[in-house]
Amino acid sequence: MATTVAAPPSRAATHRYEKGIWSWLTTTDHKKIGQLYLYTSLTWFLVGGIEALIIRTQLFGPNGRLVSADTYNQLFTMHGTTMIFMAIMPLSAAFFNFLIPLQIGARDVAFPRLNAFSYWIFLCGSLFINASWLIHKAPDAGWFSYAPLSTRTFNPGLNMDFWVIGIQILGVSTLAAGFNFITTIINMRAPGMHFMRMPVFTWAAFVTQFQIILAFPILTVAVVFLLFDRFFGTQFYEPAAGADPLLWQHLFWLFGHPEVYILILPAFGLVSEVLPTFSRKPLFGYPVMVYSLILIAFLGFGVWAHHMFAVGMGPIADSVFSVTTMLIAIPTGVKIFNWLGTMWGGSLRFTTAMLFAIGLVCLFTIGGISGVMHASPPADLQQTDSYFVVAHFHYVLFGGSMMGLFAGVYYYFPKVTGRIMNETLGKWHFWLMFIGMNLTFFPMHFAGLDGMPRRIWSYDANQGWTNDNHVSTIGAYILFVGMLIFVYNMWRSRRSGTRVGNNPWDAPTVEWSTPSPPPPYNYAKIPQITSRYPMWTREGPHSISAAYPVGAPAEAPEPTAEELHIPMPTPTLKPLLASLALTLAFIGLIWHKQVPIIILGLALFAVVLLSWVLTPLEPEH
Amino acid sequence: MTVSHHPRQPLRIAVTLVLALALVACSGYPNTTIGAHSDVGREIDSLTYLLLILGGIVFVFVEGLLVYILIKFRERPGDTMPAQTHGNTTLEVTWTMVPAVILAIIAVPSVRTIFRTQAKAVPNALQVDVIGHQWWWEFRYPQYKVVTANELYLPVGRTVNFSLRTADVIHSFWIPQMSGKRDVVHQDRPNYMWFTPESSFVWNGACAEYCGASHSNMRFRVFTVPPAQFATWITHQQQGPVFPAPAAASADTSKGAAPAAPAAAAVAAAPADTATGTWPRDKLPTWTVPETPLPTDVTVAASSGDATRGAQLFKTGACIGCHTIQGVSPGIIGPNLTHVGSRTTIAAGLYPNDMRHLMMWIKDARAMKPGSIMPPMGKGLPEAMGTFTDQQIADIAAYISSLK
Repeated sequence: MATTVAAPPSRAATHRYEKGIWSWLTTTDHKKIGQLYLYTSLTWFLVGGIEALIIRTQLFGPNGRLVSADTYNQLFTMHGTTMIFMAIMPLSAAFFNFLIPLQIGARDVAFPRLNAFSYWIFLCGSLFINASWLIHKAPDAGWFSYAPLSTRTFNPGLNMDFWVIGIQILGVSTLAAGFNFITTIINMRAPGMHFMRMPVFTWAAFVTQFQIILAFPILTVAVVFLLFDRFFGTQFYEPAAGADPLLWQHLFWLFGHPEVYILILPAFGLVSEVLPTFSRKPLFGYPVMVYSLILIAFLGFGVWAHHMFAVGMGPIADSVFSVTTMLIAIPTGVKIFNWLGTMWGGSLRFTTAMLFAIGLVCLFTIGGISGVMHASPPADLQQTDSYFVVAHFHYVLFGGSMMGLFAGVYYYFPKVTGRIMNETLGKWHFWLMFIGMNLTFFPMHFAGLDGMPRRIWSYDANQGWTNDNHVSTIGAYILFVGMLIFVYNMWRSRRSGTRVGNNPWDAPTVEWSTPSPPPPYNYAKIPQITSRYPMWTREGPHSISAAYPVGAPAEAPEPTAEELHIPMPTPTLKPLLASLALTLAFIGLIWHKQVPIIILGLALFAVVLLSWVLTPLEPEH
Repeated sequence: MTVSHHPRQPLRIAVTLVLALALVACSGYPNTTIGAHSDVGREIDSLTYLLLILGGIVFVFVEGLLVYILIKFRERPGDTMPAQTHGNTTLEVTWTMVPAVILAIIAVPSVRTIFRTQAKAVPNALQVDVIGHQWWWEFRYPQYKVVTANELYLPVGRTVNFSLRTADVIHSFWIPQMSGKRDVVHQDRPNYMWFTPESSFVWNGACAEYCGASHSNMRFRVFTVPPAQFATWITHQQQGPVFPAPAAASADTSKGAAPAAPAAAAVAAAPADTATGTWPRDKLPTWTVPETPLPTDVTVAASSGDATRGAQLFKTGACIGCHTIQGVSPGIIGPNLTHVGSRTTIAAGLYPNDMRHLMMWIKDARAMKPGSIMPPMGKGLPEAMGTFTDQQIADIAAYISSLK
């Protein structure tokens, strides 16, 4: 069922639009903001990866002395914090930003300047927290920062000050984006784009934003308590004052468990886009896939205490959370089967994007199995806080989230840049990553079951953990080589990759009707949507034998927004200025509570905000 | 293997194979959690085997199906357009119900085990109070008025009920070969955990909740011994410090002051086990002997000391502010040292207990164990609380070593 998308004939974009650094600093275009998120998050992924390599080198053999115990504690704390808050989440945000308006047939998000602000405050927050490395006082209480270890009583230095403030800044970014995308998806869908016609990625993103706006405020509260304890003398977490250490754990995991679903659902969404295209048939069980997303998000708020099976909550609480945790495995498993059903009977072409999507199906299954093992509290009392759980969460986060996100990168790179990534380098990247990932993390299951606790900086040779650690470290280096190949591929393809037309993969969803890259206004005419797969006929894609890329790049440039009389937002520096001002206030707080600087930052923020709110988004028209 | 008609034969075969595999795989793995040596440990094991078997079945099925799909449905020249299937309700129901059944098979024994293992301990259990400190373990036996640190003696065949508290941050009490772990969370309200050791040996214990600078260095030893030996040990621990040492023992202190040698050689033959009930040093399994490298910046220019001089230095020095030696000093910040000479390790399982390591520890505990609350005691060191010369340190170490 073809749709009546009235796209102009394919023309190559010759960028008659604003260029240069200034255009990036003042942009409100979701496509540019998405690219900013993409490159920044990939950079932090490399930083987190180097932190991991140092950890793995330290643990290669018994009694390693590459780094001190103190540095090691900072490394694993920052590795976790960086990967979760500065790599996976913003990489997902890159896709939310770039794809959601295009997939729903809109021109931009509901609040373009707020969107830019989300990016800039994320950049400021990530630089803020990593600045701690410059003075060798990086956060060191673990990425989940248990009290009372993280209180000023037991951690008096600047380290955890960086963490509490940095996390708050990053939280502002994520929450603002959450409200933005929910409003966008509810209000700005093109005519005919019923909810049950939306691409599954947009559904996954939609559900994720609800989890964000419900879970992040809990983290904000938990961290505000800790921040006030550390800076203003309150005693929310001070055992000497009668505080219960479990308060932090409950608050944190009430956030922390939905957070892991926030981390995986966007990757699930991307896999649900990639598999149908390269199987040449629709997603199997679309309604079930949508309902399972919603069910996972909902149930995800009811399992948090499975992170606390060892704290002595009592048998009733343990049993309840054990059962709810097992329940959530059902909709998750259903998704795996539906993906298998999508590929069954198809005509599978193994592009790099497809390989990564299949990689998620394969590796997330392993992570899911070890997750179900954790769901049995008595058995978990052996597994938790050992390398077994380290293996589990790396399988679901690396083998799950990262594999899905890389699938998205290879799949959407041509849409974002107008050029395709090199397939040979892509396959090298995939195989090195797949093999490296398994070599690194599979032995950790054994190390954990063999009694190796987590977060230890060294171990004796006679403990039986040496071989597992040897293999893990070698795997980590293989992973790193794969990443270097990826970085090179991205750089080279941006400069000289083969140019492509609108729909190089013969994909089904409406974003593939736009030129590659799309013009700033996305659609010259807002499309009328009449099916779930507007770019396919009822018989499927147009061809299954054509080589990729399908179609040719356009020869003539796109008309400009002015020529089409489409009002565009005015580029503005205010989101960046607002981010800098807010960050200044936080710098004043950490820098010996310099009240004048805090007030200056807040005052500047108020001024910029006022100016922003009083300025219309678009010029008079 | 002849196929019997017993309905559960295949399951028994599978379990045996897995167990055999597990045992083979786990030889040479001294801290393995598989094949635990207590009643609770064995309950956990049966759940773990169930989980591994079911997990293995799911793994083989799903990944096998995936591999089959990737091979059978890969594109080939001349492929026609695949049927544009949108879904199948029967399949959806099936692959929702089957996982639900598998999960029920896991949930039922899990919940039963939770209630069984978290029921109140039997009334005649041995009570042990565990207090976690940054970064060492305090053990008290309230029924016997014994206080010790880092080495736990338990009688085989008697349930031990641990009451678990912390003195500071959250730690976790874990003996992998015995049972699951339990966090020590509160300073006032204890957590409880019990198990019944079923065999006599030496086991490694570790802190399993990140607790700061020396989390990796917060280890302990568990000795499960026949009840008669446990009674001897308790009686010995109840007595005051063995000082001045009996004539036979003073020869030990000079033996203990042997110059630098591998830890095993520096271990003097322990005083008769029949006297103290302690595990003989020469019978320790190798994996319970720590191999922590020594920091390069700590040296002690003395090799033997006089225990009597050392006792005097201890009593008049800062040591008494932190350590208890029964009848000698009342400090409660650091470990109880009344019978420290008969422990196999010092610094919470970090170094073997011999003169060389003891001297270095006393001189600069912070260099030996990052973040240690015990300040350096050597003269002139930064933040030192003592001004002991190397010879004085040797004397104190000789005194400490003699406290069997």
